[in-house]
Amino acid sequence: MPIVLISSPPHGMGRVLARNLADKTGWPFFSRDQLVEEAHKQGIRLSRLETSIVKSQVKNESLALEKEIFLSFLTDMICKKAVHGNLVYSGRAAHLIMPGISHLIRVGVNTPREIRIQNVVKELNLSPEKALDYLNTLNQDIRRWVKYVHREEYNDPSYFDLFLNLETMSLDNASKLLNKAAEFSDFKPSPESVERLEDLHLAARARLHLARNKETAGLHLGVRARDKVVTVTYMPRQEAAAASISRVMESLEGCRESLCTMAETNILYIQEAFDPSSDHFNRVTQLAKRWGAAVELLRLVPKQETDLSIIEPEKEASGREATAYTGGVEDDGPETPADDGGLTRTLDELIAMGRSAGGFTVAGDKKEVVDAVKEKNNYSLVILGDLFSTKGHSAATRLTREMGLSIHEKFKVPVISISELASEFLFGKQQALKLLISILVTVGLYSAVFQFQRPILDFMGGDLHHQWKWTASICVALFVPLVAYAYGTVAGLILKLIDID
Amino acid sequence: MEYIIANFIQIDLSSALQVVLLGFIGGVLSGFIGSGGAFFMTPGMMNLGINGVVAVASNITHKFGKAMIGSHKHGKAGNVDKKLAAFLLITSVIGIQVAVAINSFLFKGGGDSHGASQGAGANLYISLVFAVILSAVALSMLKDVLGRSGAKGGGDSGPSRKIVDLLARINLPPVIYFKVADVRVSLWILLPIGIATGYLAGTIGVGGFIGVPAMIYVLGVPTAVAAGTELYLAMFMGAYGALSYSFQGFVDLRLVLLLYLGSLVGIYLGVYGVKVVNEKYIRIVTSLIILLCVISRVIAIPIYLRQLGFISMNPDLDVYFNLTSKTFLLGSGIIGCLLILLNVIRAYRQRRRIQKTLRVVRPAAR
Repeated sequence: MPIVLISSPPHGMGRVLARNLADKTGWPFFSRDQLVEEAHKQGIRLSRLETSIVKSQVKNESLALEKEIFLSFLTDMICKKAVHGNLVYSGRAAHLIMPGISHLIRVGVNTPREIRIQNVVKELNLSPEKALDYLNTLNQDIRRWVKYVHREEYNDPSYFDLFLNLETMSLDNASKLLNKAAEFSDFKPSPESVERLEDLHLAARARLHLARNKETAGLHLGVRARDKVVTVTYMPRQEAAAASISRVMESLEGCRESLCTMAETNILYIQEAFDPSSDHFNRVTQLAKRWGAAVELLRLVPKQETDLSIIEPEKEASGREATAYTGGVEDDGPETPADDGGLTRTLDELIAMGRSAGGFTVAGDKKEVVDAVKEKNNYSLVILGDLFSTKGHSAATRLTREMGLSIHEKFKVPVISISELASEFLFGKQQALKLLISILVTVGLYSAVFQFQRPILDFMGGDLHHQWKWTASICVALFVPLVAYAYGTVAGLILKLIDID
Repeated sequence: MEYIIANFIQIDLSSALQVVLLGFIGGVLSGFIGSGGAFFMTPGMMNLGINGVVAVASNITHKFGKAMIGSHKHGKAGNVDKKLAAFLLITSVIGIQVAVAINSFLFKGGGDSHGASQGAGANLYISLVFAVILSAVALSMLKDVLGRSGAKGGGDSGPSRKIVDLLARINLPPVIYFKVADVRVSLWILLPIGIATGYLAGTIGVGGFIGVPAMIYVLGVPTAVAAGTELYLAMFMGAYGALSYSFQGFVDLRLVLLLYLGSLVGIYLGVYGVKVVNEKYIRIVTSLIILLCVISRVIAIPIYLRQLGFISMNPDLDVYFNLTSKTFLLGSGIIGCLLILLNVIRAYRQRRRIQKTLRVVRPAAR
């Protein structure tokens, strides 16, 4: 039951390989050409979107909306075409579609430039020189497209499962290899990955459903689905449309429940274990109240604690969410709750406060978290709590900072640590007192040295020094760290006062 | 130059401010790239008329305290692997002893009938090792970072892992795990690296320039951890140097205090830069500074060649070669410092913008 996503350079035989594989296996085949045709039928102006992204330097809000709808359309089409879960799709940056689903085989194809030029010469009736120019321009355009639509570099190898070189391998053998790869346990669907895919499809359908309805067509919405529960978030300026959104969502098939919330801002809080009574949680909720923001919880389960390496939509949390959205009707049962690192209890607290934007678990590391954030990417702030606790304090601090930098660089979302959240606004009495004492000590030490230069220098290197060499060495060893500490504290606290810390 | 006592000169306000500035630039460099303060501050102080030994002694004493504060800051940020530092310290001692032996041998055989000053042979040897090794380090670092950004259009690509992966295959026991750096290294790889680092530190006096890239490219240590660990190592070396020089009566406490005035602020800014600046940028700036230092050393080589009689050149030209060499050296420090500060300010302003947003109180959502 595989879905094979084949990505090749333009005129690079990706489609031919996909067709060959589909013919051999009987799996349904779908290509970008068919996608464009379907898009045209459904009124999605793909060529206009493409021209705007590739040619225009200005990326405005309506373009972002069109892009969002196109991605939903693409997800929807692929899921629909995957009859019995099987599909071979060949298209532009196909390997970047639906990140985080483990049973998708993401294949890259390398085709010799000469063959690609020959293909262009044959298909477009161009001279070889013009064909080369054409391919170069096309490559650049596609890179721009991929960068804007998927926020990734086209050739980043970390997003491929397999990379086939058609220069050294025949199409037939490449197909056989892919057929064989589909039997590997790594690409077999797990209940979690299937559920994840279904949720993605539901969210995509919901987004399209809202886009096709006149009342909600032009709205900028965040749509996500968990366990068949769709959450739609809208901006405050769109408050008037809230009722329309709820009304439109009623007619969406396959949706167990839909929630419609205004999220002026969404805060993502990432931590390994949550505790609703902790100071950290209190700080986050205080900020959420000040902002009028919803808080989404992401529980990170480090790789070594689990065999899973995919985004796991919550073995425990999915069960939990199923109970969370029952309108208060609870099942009786002897079930004891699984250890979910306090996620359930913390979510309950957020729901009670009216600040919940949901919660989920990611098993893995920095990359998996980035994938999870990428899928939604509608956050105004990401807060990193206690992470990598098994690594020791120093390594945990560094890894947390590196994760923050990755998220920030990738999505331009502000990222702060939970300790920064507590300390960056305040310069408390304790720090003020420490600063005052350090200033006094520093001034005292500097005054002493410069006031009594002659005797001190005599002691350090003059006649007096010859009698007290060892004492002078010991004094330096004690005095220098004292000055460094005192003045270092002054410098550090003053810089902290102006937020350079 | 007026002396108060023995080797210690009179310091006026202008000299004092210049020493503070030297300390600031050195502090920024060492906070950001884990080394680089000494190469800048020592010649800078000598230019002010301070005796060379006093400049070295005061600088190394100042380095002791500065490295203590810097490594503490790096430690809080999770960038110090003490176990790795201990291994490198022990193994590098052997390398330092080898370097000292070679240098002493060449120093003694320096003077000859061509008017070579004592130590010209050692100077030439040191300059050549400096130029060859540091050029290789800087160019490979630059090639790595630019090549990768060209291939992938920037992004957050890490340093090349070619050597790390190659060495990982050797896997000769005992393999030591360094928790903070999160790397596993065979002792048989660590040993020659420590010795080589020590040898180069002892030969060209800039252990950090070798130690940091070696940790990054050979051991696979993250850049920030390499810088922090190097600073931690420097603390011990500085302590040893401070005790030795103060015993001999060469430490000028006034210079130490003036250097601190600038360097401790600089080091905080440098460490802040490591936190907020892209890793790729850190490597570009580091390699640029190293390259300028190499050029500075290469410019001085004709002087030593002339002194040893390998080339004939008017001795009056020495002063120009020296001046150009010093200009490049100081230029590398100033340019490096400005590049770092530029990005620190940019990151700071960006962060202020975020904080302003954080302080906005908006009506609660319903």
